[in-house]
Amino acid sequence: MNARRAWRRFARRADFWGLLVFLVLFFVFMLAPIVVVVVVSFSDASFIAFPIARVSLRWYRRIWEYRPFMDSLIVSLELAVASAACAALLGVPAALALTRSRARFADAVSTFLLAPLSMPMIVLGFSLLYYLSWLGLGVSFLSLLLAHTVVSIPYVARTVAGVYRGIGPDFEEAAAILGADRWRTFRYVTLPLIRPGIFAGSLFAILISLDNLPISFFFGSASTNTLPVVMLSYLQNQFDPAIAAISTVQMLIAVAALLVVERVYGLAAMSAPS
Amino acid sequence: MRLRAIPRRRRAAGGLGLAWTLPAILFLALFFVLPLADNAAGSLAGGGGRLSLGYYVKLLTDAYYVGVILRTLGVSLLVTAICLVIGYPIAYFLVRHAGRWSSLVIFLLIAPLLTSIIMRTFGWRVLFARRGIVNLLLVDLGVIERPLNVLQQPASVIIGLVHVLVPFMVLSIASVLQGIDRRLEESAQVLGASRWQSFLRITLPLSLDGIGTGAILVFMLTNGSFVTMLLLGGGSVVTLPLLIYQQFNLTQDVGFASAMGNLLLVFAVGCLYLQLRLIKRKGARG
Repeated sequence: MNARRAWRRFARRADFWGLLVFLVLFFVFMLAPIVVVVVVSFSDASFIAFPIARVSLRWYRRIWEYRPFMDSLIVSLELAVASAACAALLGVPAALALTRSRARFADAVSTFLLAPLSMPMIVLGFSLLYYLSWLGLGVSFLSLLLAHTVVSIPYVARTVAGVYRGIGPDFEEAAAILGADRWRTFRYVTLPLIRPGIFAGSLFAILISLDNLPISFFFGSASTNTLPVVMLSYLQNQFDPAIAAISTVQMLIAVAALLVVERVYGLAAMSAPS
Repeated sequence: MRLRAIPRRRRAAGGLGLAWTLPAILFLALFFVLPLADNAAGSLAGGGGRLSLGYYVKLLTDAYYVGVILRTLGVSLLVTAICLVIGYPIAYFLVRHAGRWSSLVIFLLIAPLLTSIIMRTFGWRVLFARRGIVNLLLVDLGVIERPLNVLQQPASVIIGLVHVLVPFMVLSIASVLQGIDRRLEESAQVLGASRWQSFLRITLPLSLDGIGTGAILVFMLTNGSFVTMLLLGGGSVVTLPLLIYQQFNLTQDVGFASAMGNLLLVFAVGCLYLQLRLIKRKGARG
């Protein structure tokens, strides 16, 4: 009996250590390509080698001076913020209405609002290009904005709905009982409560938009090239550490955005149940 | 005597009317549904405004294109399977063993999602280069004699895709594992089941929903991706999205690209349907 218990304990330990080793290997796999790029970005060689011989900021200077990178970074940032704002304007009211609705087709509407997530983006981009050209919008910032908003709506709606569902109707009912009309209830009770959801959902949308290639690719022109599009064409022609440097900058922007949300609302808002 | 809950007919205070969903619905109808419908119509257009299945006949009978379609599905299946095999133990560790380290594990899982797909592809290219660190290490360790050429081959595409998609699998499985009552497993063991038996007969079947959700998600996302194939495959793995990209860039055969896109869309709708059925089943079970 004792031997059996000892064997059990040993087996449990072995399970644990086995899994732990697997976990460590897994994270080496997950982080290796990222760490490598960050290291290479500080290289001073004109070719790519890892590990690097000397540390320098040469390639950061190069991307600063290389117009297409900086121009497209600005386009990307403007596009990401603008499309997240549009998605919030459209998606937040919809999410609020659907969460508390008991209508039978509310589920169907929710599914519809989330549907753009499931569609292959390259097909969406391709179709939108011809459709928007037919509407006379063609390759323009407005076209990009419309296309990115389609993809951003699900992220905002899903996050806001998750937060709103978690809050429950009690606060709003209390406000109504105390005599607040619907507008005041919304303005002074609902909105402050769901603000973390709006913020986190918009941030998701911004991050997704910044990294979007399959849609932006179709709307490329000198004035509407987004950063990923420029990076792709650069990578297809050259293979030097400039890509590493601009990638690292892009990652730092994402990390900074995440830290802001962390500081303001805590990560709990980010992991809203979907 | 039984008490019945009184149905609440009144709309919850503060809840907005469904009219507030109209702007979003209209927007998506205009810029999501109509473009895709337009694309579907374009794929059926023959000469002189007639309907024609010509593009689909070409797509589904030409051996080359049939090969591309099968490869698309095959790559997605393979990536899904690998993500499952790698992701399940990670999810299990996260839920059962990580304890106070779990937020670190989650952070490490999510962190790669903050980096662009181009950055990661670039990273693999540096790592797998002929004289890159992976080859040097393997030669030094005596695992291989000469440097391998992994790049521009299917293996690197699969590795790149798994790297991008495995976090989705882990998070899907972990969220279901979280909800499984540990006492079920413990009771099985008290009743004499070995650890493996209790895992195979209790935990694994109970986590099937998470596996399903994760698998559909990964399959769907692989089906639509082309950047990894483009930058790591070097033409060795041609799938539907890559072919659409090439058609657009080189030949500009819009109708045919529309047909390929539409086929991809059909796959996606199939996945979406399965996903909804899974959610509904979960809901029915409570």
